[in-house]
Amino acid sequence: MEFFASIKLAMFLFIALAMTATIGTVIQQGERPETYVQEYGEEAYRWFLRLGFIDVYHTWWFTSLLGLLCVNSLTCFHKRFPSVWRSMRQDKVSVSLAFIQGMKQQTTLSLTQTREAVAEHLVKLFGEKGYRVLTKSDPGEVTVYATKGIMGRVGAHVAHLSATVIVLGGLVGSYYGFQEFGVCLEGQTYHIPRGNFDLRVDKFWIDYHENGSVKSYNSTLTVIDQGTPTATKTITVNDPLVYKGIWFYQSSYGDAWDQIEAARINIKEKNSDKIVATVDLEWNKEKTVEGLPLKMKMTDFVADFAFNSTEKKVFSKTAEHANPAIRLTVDERSAVQSTPWVFYHYPDLFEIKDSAYQFEFIGYQPKKFTGLQIARNPGINMVWIGCTMLVVGMTLSSLIYHRRLWAKIVSGASGVTVHFGGTTHKSQIDFQKEFKKLTEKIQSQN
Amino acid sequence: MMRSLFLFDMTFWLYLAALALYVAYLFAKRPAMQLAPAGHPTDSIEDRDGAWATQLGQVATLVTVFGWVLNTLALTTRAFERMEHSGTFAPWSNQFEAMAYVSWAIILGYVLLEFRYRIKAVGAFVVGIGFIAMGAASLLPYRYQTAEPLVPALNSYWIYIHVSVTLTSYAAFAMAGGLGLMYLFKERAVNRGSQSRFYAAFPDLETIDELGYKAIMLGFPLLAFGIILGAMWANYAWGGYWSWDPKETWSLIVWLIYGAYIHARMTRGWEGHKAAIYAIFGFLMVVFCFWGVNFLLSGLHAYA
Repeated sequence: MEFFASIKLAMFLFIALAMTATIGTVIQQGERPETYVQEYGEEAYRWFLRLGFIDVYHTWWFTSLLGLLCVNSLTCFHKRFPSVWRSMRQDKVSVSLAFIQGMKQQTTLSLTQTREAVAEHLVKLFGEKGYRVLTKSDPGEVTVYATKGIMGRVGAHVAHLSATVIVLGGLVGSYYGFQEFGVCLEGQTYHIPRGNFDLRVDKFWIDYHENGSVKSYNSTLTVIDQGTPTATKTITVNDPLVYKGIWFYQSSYGDAWDQIEAARINIKEKNSDKIVATVDLEWNKEKTVEGLPLKMKMTDFVADFAFNSTEKKVFSKTAEHANPAIRLTVDERSAVQSTPWVFYHYPDLFEIKDSAYQFEFIGYQPKKFTGLQIARNPGINMVWIGCTMLVVGMTLSSLIYHRRLWAKIVSGASGVTVHFGGTTHKSQIDFQKEFKKLTEKIQSQN
Repeated sequence: MMRSLFLFDMTFWLYLAALALYVAYLFAKRPAMQLAPAGHPTDSIEDRDGAWATQLGQVATLVTVFGWVLNTLALTTRAFERMEHSGTFAPWSNQFEAMAYVSWAIILGYVLLEFRYRIKAVGAFVVGIGFIAMGAASLLPYRYQTAEPLVPALNSYWIYIHVSVTLTSYAAFAMAGGLGLMYLFKERAVNRGSQSRFYAAFPDLETIDELGYKAIMLGFPLLAFGIILGAMWANYAWGGYWSWDPKETWSLIVWLIYGAYIHARMTRGWEGHKAAIYAIFGFLMVVFCFWGVNFLLSGLHAYA
């Protein structure tokens, strides 16, 4: 118990957390194995795995340090708060003379007035300075006790409690919340199973500053709940859409890798090697070429052409537009039917044998996707409550300091002797100044 | 376009002059000053050298205050320039402006400290740090010094409060670091029984220690508040209040380091020498968090 409530443990935990947190800023977190092997070597990577260095903040030892910090602050609260609470309600007024004389700030004054008059003056003086004053009369002496700034102590304990509240909020968030990333195309509707509603992406666009730099990324989203549109909002990077506790953030954007808006095709006559027509095809829409016996349709697109020979399937190797290709469905005189892949970078790669024409893919308009971060965090309010407690507690504890004054007024031969002393747990120089001023005030009463 | 740059430049030179004057003030002070009653180091001793030193000190203060006024003007002008060009007025929207703001806050803190506690010797250290901050800012390449429009992630009202609060806490830690350095200087002189006039104007060790502690007590909750405001911002912009981004993590590390300090102060033996060294170490960590992370580690804060 002593150990768990100790300041030593708190210091150790602060330093240990600081040091281990550093690891995660030096070693990139959550990268692919190749990245680590390449940068640090295979042996080092094995050690990283063993020690959890590639995901430091979720390792058992890091979370236990956090857990211990909670235990530490809670036991400290449990052990020390009751005495703070008691001294808020009832204070130790009567103290021994030795107690006063043992204080860092203490002095002895001789005054010529009566005990009662001095006591009355002190009560008034301390009261004016915002102290809470209590007096106790014993035979032959009066003790005046004054206290101020207990909230500084309460603040520290509030801050201690906040650690646990924040960590619990974080836990609730990571167990009951989720965070996903969605790549959404304009005009499409997506089902959000976690919220049991649909989301339609109406539009995505970018605004620019005069000098050409990006001003904002915008997506207009419509929530469709039970089949009816219920909310529409244009989200930007700093302005998410919130619906039923689920947050939609504008996170990224890019060109889709499996679809385009439109493609431009040059049609060349094989015999004359001349371009006889240029057509713009829209996605998945058949077009009859004017003046030529051709019907064309674009059915597929890949941004980075690759072929899986075992499955006999075409796929996009990456999301980059490194080797764009489209697949056409061509109907020539209703006699020759073909579905050729045509390549943006390699116009002469394939040829349709029976066709009189050659098709060249000369340009396209990419379809933009908007990258949405979709998240729900039911622990977040708890985290904010904890944060508020932390800030309020810390501010109280650093701005206000608890101070206590005792004045024991004893009758002497001529007048009274005042034994005046005071303590504080911090801000010694300010308190020293204040104590001096008070002493002068008491003396001047003479 | 950049009228503010001229004002920033002027501020830089004035801080340099102020620093030189404070150092000169220390050299002008006589050892006899040590006989002054504790707590009132500058009261009523007006011998010949003392008068000369007092005058130097007054000029130093005047130049500092003037420099600070220019710093304020520079930031205000920059705020207007930002209004015109980038749709925000926060004059702490890039590294250069942030540095200029930090030195503004450091000097303000110092001036308040001087007026409250009447100790000028601190100026040689703290104004020094303010000057270095301003100097480092003006060493940045020109393209970092202009008021370019903000990237979309930064374009939010959170920038007003998150950045200013965090930077103010850095300034408090800078102050504590300067005081820590001063403590070590003074301590060395005391231990050697040095009669050098240089240390005559230094307040006693206990006062330096206490002031350093106060600065950290101010910076500590401010940094917590700044980090939390950052978390709230991240919750609006990045889809989560905490993502262990290097800057985020480093600010937490700095906070933890000072957390250890605050708790250590409650135990015996952690005042004075150890605390001074710790305050300097903490300040170096702040510098790393502020500068090092931006240039050495990659992350979401890469723009600031």
